[in-house]
Amino acid sequence: MDQLQLRAFENRCIQEELPFCTAACPIHVDVRAFMAGLAEGNLREARKVLDRTMPFPEIVGRLCDEPCRPFCKRGEIGDPLAISMLERACVGMTAPVLKLPKLPAKGGTVAVVGGGLSGMTAALDLGRKGRKVTLVTAAEGLGGSLRSLPETMLPREAFPQAAALLEGYGVTLMLAADLTVERIADLIATHDAVYFDRDEIGPQLVPQAAAQPDPLTLALPAEGGFAGGGLGEDSSSFSVIKQVKDGRRAALTIERYLQKVSLTAQRDKEGVCTTRMHTVITGMASSAVLIPADPALGYTTAEAQQEAGRCIRCECLECVKQCVYLQEYKEYPKTLVRKIYNNQAIVQGTRNANRMINSCSLCGQCTVICPHDIPVPELCRTTRQDMVHNGHMPPSAHDFALEDMHFSLSESCTLARHQPGTSASRFLFYPGCQLAGSSPETVVRTYRFLAGRLQGGVGLMLGCCGIPARWAGQEPLFAETMDRFKADIARLGNPTLITACSSCLSIFDEFCSEAEIVSLWEMLDSLELPTGKTQAPGETLTLHDPCTARHQETLRLSVRSICGKLGMHIVEHDCNGPLADCCGYGGLMQFANPQLGGKAAGMKAGRSEHAGLAYCAMCRDNLAASGHRVAHLLDYIFPVADGQNPLARSNPGFSRRHENRARLKQDLLNSLWPEAAVLQPEHRQITLLISREVLDLLNSRHILEEDVQKVIHQANQTGRYLVNPGNGHQLAGFKPVRVTYWVEFEPTSRGYVIHNAYSHRMLLPEVGQ
Amino acid sequence: MSGYSFIEATPWQCAGCRLPLTPTTVSLTYLNSVFNVELMACPRCGMLLVPESLAAGRMLEVEQLLEDK
Repeated sequence: MDQLQLRAFENRCIQEELPFCTAACPIHVDVRAFMAGLAEGNLREARKVLDRTMPFPEIVGRLCDEPCRPFCKRGEIGDPLAISMLERACVGMTAPVLKLPKLPAKGGTVAVVGGGLSGMTAALDLGRKGRKVTLVTAAEGLGGSLRSLPETMLPREAFPQAAALLEGYGVTLMLAADLTVERIADLIATHDAVYFDRDEIGPQLVPQAAAQPDPLTLALPAEGGFAGGGLGEDSSSFSVIKQVKDGRRAALTIERYLQKVSLTAQRDKEGVCTTRMHTVITGMASSAVLIPADPALGYTTAEAQQEAGRCIRCECLECVKQCVYLQEYKEYPKTLVRKIYNNQAIVQGTRNANRMINSCSLCGQCTVICPHDIPVPELCRTTRQDMVHNGHMPPSAHDFALEDMHFSLSESCTLARHQPGTSASRFLFYPGCQLAGSSPETVVRTYRFLAGRLQGGVGLMLGCCGIPARWAGQEPLFAETMDRFKADIARLGNPTLITACSSCLSIFDEFCSEAEIVSLWEMLDSLELPTGKTQAPGETLTLHDPCTARHQETLRLSVRSICGKLGMHIVEHDCNGPLADCCGYGGLMQFANPQLGGKAAGMKAGRSEHAGLAYCAMCRDNLAASGHRVAHLLDYIFPVADGQNPLARSNPGFSRRHENRARLKQDLLNSLWPEAAVLQPEHRQITLLISREVLDLLNSRHILEEDVQKVIHQANQTGRYLVNPGNGHQLAGFKPVRVTYWVEFEPTSRGYVIHNAYSHRMLLPEVGQ
Repeated sequence: MSGYSFIEATPWQCAGCRLPLTPTTVSLTYLNSVFNVELMACPRCGMLLVPESLAAGRMLEVEQLLEDK
């Protein structure tokens, strides 16, 4: 990713866009933060927000004509916030909190002619910037036409206060000045720039101010002259905020003029601007504006707090609201991509974002939700590819999952045969590695059904589509797996694939477009389902679509159709279909970040209070592992003879899943394709006696029972192990591939009791070398 | 973690040599880094003990640190 790509990506995330009120405010007051302060009862915090942006909060805070209010999102569900009344209340109840710093004095002299609010604002802004400013007015004091307002609207002392503030920033005030045409000509001659406040200065006094100033810069045609303030363009209305806006705009122009830089460049975000902010208000209750008990006095503190509490604090975060991953890392796409970019830029040092990059499930829910389709998963996946390519991928992140894939593709588990008694296949059932691992019996029953119903021969293929390698960023390994798969199906005469797994289907659709593919669910929906044996559950189930079926609409419809045919009562929850959550397996999240994987499963299962129905084997097992009752749809189509409740089936865990795959091949070879069985390695003959607690420990530590068998086998073969004379336990370490496993065991007549197991990746000089 | 010592009294003995374990200095390596540490080992054949507390503790920390380098 280069800088340009980073910026393009960042720009698509709108979380940091201005809220609607701020965008509509000519001086961009942070109304959202102001409301937050008030709603939390923190008046000082609210006042600080005004002090930061408003010139003269005592005046503007009391008089602003709130052009922002019609844009308040709350207005779409009830009344917009009483923004101006709340500002008035805040200013009335607080003293100034923040005093903005004055920059060091610089050259350049500016005369402000006229002491209305726009002149005052221009003088204040330029004074803060260190410019030498002289404000000249014929009036007795500051304020221009605001001086005529009644005391109830604006306390008299506001103007002397403003004068003191201006003088504090070094502005010279010349009140009650004799403003003649000659005097003004003299001011023009002796200053680098002159601003005419048209609230006080009419064209009769200054002929050059009669011209319309440029709307963007407020520059007059005459060199060094600027003008603003006064009545609006229609010459009938007087807007307080227009005075402030003009004064501020002119001050910025004059600053640029004195710096001799472009007066016009990059000013599109100044003043009232558009915003791409996206705030969803669906489901929010409508609310009416709070009328103060005494409208003449305005809001009390408590009333202000209540009214400000109606602010919905507009932001987007639509993706974060649903995504356990973004929530965990407290990021939204814009901040996430920045962290990823910085992580990739590190040459020497710790890459702290590695785990974050490897924790995304790559499920794509955020992209569907995002109003700008931000591809966070693709960013994370391609970053992983780069990490692998550059040798910066932590080996421990995906090793276990890739070893699992390697095993699924090994001679122990793979199979590719025509239907027994045939030499050609019109169809090829591809159950996928996870269904084989989760429930091998279901694979057999489904295959027997398909072979019995479909004409032209139904072959069977056991293996893995390679998606773990794709998720891990291991492109060469993934490509190799796909090539092998394509060669295998070509050898079987390119039959139509029937895939049970949505992940396999998504991979084949994308990378094996030459193959004809149909999902198992569409196929089953087109056939007459087995009768008599099917057993609908006696309760309502919530259907959980897998994340990889997000874009497989016809498949999802078939699943619902099958549920209907089985007489099942199914309910849907909000995060289903195109919005489905990942169960934690996607993107190998649960391997790179086991804790987060657990949270993801819990979140998915918790979307409904009903027991679950999944049709992805990984969802089924992960949701079960998170302590929820969940069944697989095939459990109801092809129920087991023992009548066990499919909702009660526990998570098989990694070891059992391994064994199930190997046993499935064995059983199929024994029953359907009788021939010499695959020779089992010697260590597989070792009998292990493992308690539930130790099994859970092995599972959480990613240690397979086969690894334990290898350690014991090695210890027996070499005689190299430790012994504890106190309890007769033995301890041995062995490194079959990359990880060294240590097992504490106890030989008994029935087998080996396993007491403990742990592992490390650091290499020892002797063990297992 | 070079220079660290993981010496502690242990009930484990070498099964082959029937000897109690004694402290020894060994080189552990991971991702191009080498650490000289003290571990308990058989004084005759060098059979090492990596206790669970070390594997799941300091060793894991260092492994993860190196993986992010």
